Amino acid sequence: MSYRRRCTSDVRTNDAGEDFAQLLRSGDIVLLVGPLGAGKTTFVKGVARGLGVIERVTSPTFTVVREHECHNELGIATLQHCDVYRVASLDEVLDLALGELVEESAVALVEWGDIAASVFGRDVLRVTFEVQSDEIRVLDVEGVIDAQRANALEVWATS
Amino acid sequence: MKVLGIETSCDETAAAVVDDALHVHSTVIESSIDQHRDFGGVVPELAGRAHVATIGPVVREALEGAGLDPTHPAIDAVAVTSGPGLIGSLLVGLSAAKTYALAWGIPFVGVNHLEGHLFAPLLEQRDLEWPLLTLLVSGGHSLIVLQEGPGHHQVLGETIDDAAGEAYDKVARWLGLGYPGGPEIDRLAQGGNPDALALPVSMIGDDFDFSFSGLKTAVVRATQKYPDVAIGDVAASFQAALGEQLLRKLRRALERYDVRGVALAGGVAANSHLRILVRALADEFGVVAHLPSLAMCTDNAAMIGAAGLYRFAHDGASALSLSARPNWQLVDVA
Repeated sequence: MSYRRRCTSDVRTNDAGEDFAQLLRSGDIVLLVGPLGAGKTTFVKGVARGLGVIERVTSPTFTVVREHECHNELGIATLQHCDVYRVASLDEVLDLALGELVEESAVALVEWGDIAASVFGRDVLRVTFEVQSDEIRVLDVEGVIDAQRANALEVWATS
Repeated sequence: MKVLGIETSCDETAAAVVDDALHVHSTVIESSIDQHRDFGGVVPELAGRAHVATIGPVVREALEGAGLDPTHPAIDAVAVTSGPGLIGSLLVGLSAAKTYALAWGIPFVGVNHLEGHLFAPLLEQRDLEWPLLTLLVSGGHSLIVLQEGPGHHQVLGETIDDAAGEAYDKVARWLGLGYPGGPEIDRLAQGGNPDALALPVSMIGDDFDFSFSGLKTAVVRATQKYPDVAIGDVAASFQAALGEQLLRKLRRALERYDVRGVALAGGVAANSHLRILVRALADEFGVVAHLPSLAMCTDNAAMIGAAGLYRFAHDGASALSLSARPNWQLVDVA
C-alpha cells in the first residue's frame, strides 16, 4: 500500500513536506529516494517548517548530517537531515550509525536513502520522488504503516 | 611568535608554520582527492582514514621545511581547524593538535575554517587596504562577507540551499565528468556557447543570499529535454548562469558598502571564469581585486595558522576539552 501525492510546483512539494511533518512521530526514519533535482531538499525544507525549525535548512551534502532544533507540539525536538549522496558503500552507512542518530524525540530524513534502506530494515518510511515534467513531481509514501498513520496519510495524499 | 597550523576539515591534510608578521615559513598539503575520484565526491570515511595516515608525516615535513627540529620545535602555539567540516576528518586534526600541544607544553587554539579562508588574502598581500568584500565560495560554503579588518567580519549573505562548489560537483557528476567538478566544467566551458541553454539566474531578490539548487535542477531538465546539446555548451551555460548570480550579488554589495577591495576565497576561487568576472567588476568600481594564488584557494594550513594567531592574541588559548563543530557557522565566531 502506498500513498501518492502529486505536486504541481516547488511550492507544492514544500507544502507536501510541511503537511507530512504532522504525521511524523519521534523515532521515525524517513528515506527520501529520487534523482538529482527531484525535490528532495525542497520537501525537507517543508518538513522542517512543519516541525518548527527556525534556522535555515541548507544542503547537508558537505557534512553528511545537519541537526536542527524543532519547536512543535508533536514531541519532536530534533530533526536530523542526512545526505548519503557521497557515501560509497553500505559499510560506510553503518559507520555513520544513522540509526543511532534518531534517539528519543528525534526524527531523521535521509536523502539518497535507497543506498541506506537495507541497513535500516523495513522499519522505515520511504518517500519516492518521481519527476513527471519540469514542474510536476509525484511523491509516493510506503513503509510499515499502522492504522492511525494510514488515516493521516490518506488525508495527506488527497490534500 | 610562531604557530604550527593544522587543517583536516575535508580531504586535504595540511600543516604550515606561520609567524605573527604573517610570514609563511613552510606549507605542506597532502590531498586524498585521488581516492575520492571514483565516487564523485569526498567520501567521509576514506577522508578520515587518509588523515590518520598522513597527519604525522605532513606535520613533520612542515616543521622541517621551516628549519625546525620536528621533535622539539621552537614554536609557540598550535592552531587547528575545529569546524566546520566532516566530523571524522576534523577529529583527526584536533586530536593531533592537542597531542602536539601537550607534548611540547604549548597552547593550542581552535580555528573556524571559514575565518581561515578570510585570512588567506593577507598572506599574499600584508598591506592590503580595508574594508574588503570577500566572496567565499567552495564545495561546502558560499558567502559574501564584509571585512572591516582582520577578524572583524560580517556575513552579508549565504546560500539558502547548495554551495556553489557543490552545484559544480553535482552537475559534473550528472554529466558523467570527474570529481572535483569545478576544473572539469571550467575546462569544457572554454569555447562552449554560454547561451546554448536558457538557464535561470536565481535569487534576483534584493538581499545577498544565493541559491544554486534550482540551477542544478534546470541543468538536469534541460539536458534531458535537449540531449544533443554539446557538453561544452552545457558546461558554458551552467558556468555562465552560476557566475552571473555570484556577480549580481557582489555588485549589489559593492553598491551598498564603501570598500577598498574585493577578494575571492575558497576552492571555487580557482575558477577562471569567476576570476575574470571579479577582476572586471573590481575595475568597474575602482577597487583592488584580490585573486588568490591557486595554492591559497585550496584548503591550506597557512591560513589556519594566520587566523589562529589572531584568535590566540584576542581570545587566548582553547581548552583541551574543545570538541569539533561540524556545522560551526562564521556568524557564530566571536
